[in-house]
Amino acid sequence: MFRIIKKSLKTGVVTGHHPDVNVPHEPVSREAIEKARPFRRSMTIREVDTGSCNACEMEMNALVNPIYDVERFGVHIAASPRHADALVVTGPVTVNMERALKDVYKATPDPKLVIALGDCAVHCGMFKGSYAVTGPVERHIPVDVRIPGCPPRPAEILAVLEALRKDPPDSAR
Amino acid sequence: MIDARPAVEQLRVAFTQAIIGVGSLHGIPILRLDKRDVPTVAHFIHTHPGLRGSLSLLWAVDHRPREARDELCYLFTLAARKDWLLLATDLPDGEREFSSITPTLHAAKWYEREVRDLFGLIPVGHPDMRRLVRHEHWPKGTHPLKKDFSWNRVLERVQGQYAFRKIQGEGVFEVPVGPIHAGIIEPGHFRFSVAGEPIMQLELRHFWKHRGVEKLFEQQQLTAAVPLSERVSGDTTVGHSLAYCQAVEILLGMEVPQRARYLRSLFLELERLHNHIGDVGAICNDTAYVLAHAHCGRMKEQLMQLNDRLAGSRFLRGVNCVGGVAVDVTDAQAAQVVTELDAIERDFTTIEKILFANASLTERLENTGILTERIAWDHAVVGVVGRASGMDRDIRRDRPFAAYGELQPQVPFYRYGDVRARMRVRLDEVHESIRLVREIRRRLPQGPLTVRPRREPVAGEWAISAVEGWRGEILYVVMAGELGRIHRCKVRDPSFVNWPAIQWAALGNIVPDFPLINKSFNLSYAGNDL
Repeated sequence: MFRIIKKSLKTGVVTGHHPDVNVPHEPVSREAIEKARPFRRSMTIREVDTGSCNACEMEMNALVNPIYDVERFGVHIAASPRHADALVVTGPVTVNMERALKDVYKATPDPKLVIALGDCAVHCGMFKGSYAVTGPVERHIPVDVRIPGCPPRPAEILAVLEALRKDPPDSAR
Repeated sequence: MIDARPAVEQLRVAFTQAIIGVGSLHGIPILRLDKRDVPTVAHFIHTHPGLRGSLSLLWAVDHRPREARDELCYLFTLAARKDWLLLATDLPDGEREFSSITPTLHAAKWYEREVRDLFGLIPVGHPDMRRLVRHEHWPKGTHPLKKDFSWNRVLERVQGQYAFRKIQGEGVFEVPVGPIHAGIIEPGHFRFSVAGEPIMQLELRHFWKHRGVEKLFEQQQLTAAVPLSERVSGDTTVGHSLAYCQAVEILLGMEVPQRARYLRSLFLELERLHNHIGDVGAICNDTAYVLAHAHCGRMKEQLMQLNDRLAGSRFLRGVNCVGGVAVDVTDAQAAQVVTELDAIERDFTTIEKILFANASLTERLENTGILTERIAWDHAVVGVVGRASGMDRDIRRDRPFAAYGELQPQVPFYRYGDVRARMRVRLDEVHESIRLVREIRRRLPQGPLTVRPRREPVAGEWAISAVEGWRGEILYVVMAGELGRIHRCKVRDPSFVNWPAIQWAALGNIVPDFPLINKSFNLSYAGNDL
């Protein structure tokens, strides 16, 4: 036990050691920011995969590693949609996952935010039109925020989460 | 490279009546059989002490519109020489039934159910005729890989109920989990039958993420489908695209330049490194050893950022192209990669020593989730999981591709088959990968990165290629169609083979240990569901 603590002390703080990215591709809408207002200080996310290739999930996982450490901004990942303030949906919605996605949406308490993460969730990406894919996420449930990219880098996801916490740039206050 | 002639001779003697024809394509011997004889010959290949073939792949091809027939192909890997041997049989127009080989070969179980779902061919005698890929709400008679099924058809929804296997008795109850389950993870359904804590039976139900990948391949040109292959399973970008490119290169008669071969090995090892280090961390996390997880997560991130600097993609997307590689690595970059890996190895070794000295960690890993050698063999398990259960197989060594013929990778393997063994395989492979990267840097030759195709693809010709991805053996069968298009592309991720085996590894363990067992297998859902 002491050895790993020693190792950790020697390693020091690594949080924030990631290259900057020039984002956002798509500015977060006013309505989304309004909707996210109750979650500014603490937002719990449930990740829902509806058919992605898993790269988007890996980047979501990377968000909780010590480099990005998304928890320092009050963002938590929950294991159940019942605990969630926001759903992050990745992947095109497959025929087999359509029902499950709607169930998860229903199980999430209001008010809730839906974030479509990655090209597949936004417009089905490479799987557009396939017999096994029923369309992008917004065909089934209302989407508030879109984060394009295949997959988006963790720093890009962080930037969008950051934008949700701020007042809109043209706000009067 | 391959010499299965003695085996073919042996089979010829044993089955003079059954064998219709003997051929070979790109060095793989093919035995053509009448469909009634397949189970006998397959059983012989599987059990004969001189052959000991394990079923590596089973796939079907709909040859329309050129020929009105369906073909079934069974690819065996012969244990002694690690050669391939292919059995092929035809189902002429309209015939839908074939004899199942599952009663004697466990490994064929999911393949035959898959063939039934996707082609509508019926494996007569199969012990489990439930649907696999097509969930119950798919209408009857929808077989997406038939040529008369349009790739963009909209499916309607019907009523249907999946029947899980039941165990009955006093105190036995079921724990259903999924498809959406804890953590940031892909969808899959697990059903545990438990009496108290220990698992009496685990049944998987997958294919929630079926996206129709194989059908999408058929809409593409041979040279244009690399981006699709990169998105079959996100964490195995290089492995899948490399396997796809190699198959197409055989069809186009391309000889990949030396430098490109070395760079392919380099990228494949970088992919293996970040995944293995991430997995070691994840296993620690599931035993509540969060500090070790944090350290591994930090090293993994360092590697992903290195990938980003090298190739402009954290997942090394776009490095492979048909005929070579699309990304060059300068001398300075190669030197920097080695310096960075040296630092990571020192870092990682410290963590490794701490892990091995930790008795409470070892206590959780030892004797948890044992996959015996016998079950691993019966299910033809591949990759890390196989090597932890006494299957000494690694495509990099057994049938070298890219630059592995010259690099001579060392293959670690253990016999315990528990979570600890799977973790140790990963730890050993991390060191081996770093050694290989150093070796690649030392030998990296100068020269061109790509070649141009030497010939046009011949419609109906096909090629198989295998790549040892970080998870295990990835197989691609690509068949050319008219005008340079793809007629059929069979993709097999190692997950497809290893998922059924996890049902056996979980038996007798307590439910709270299942996440740990699952993590030590770390199989892909996307690559499995396609």
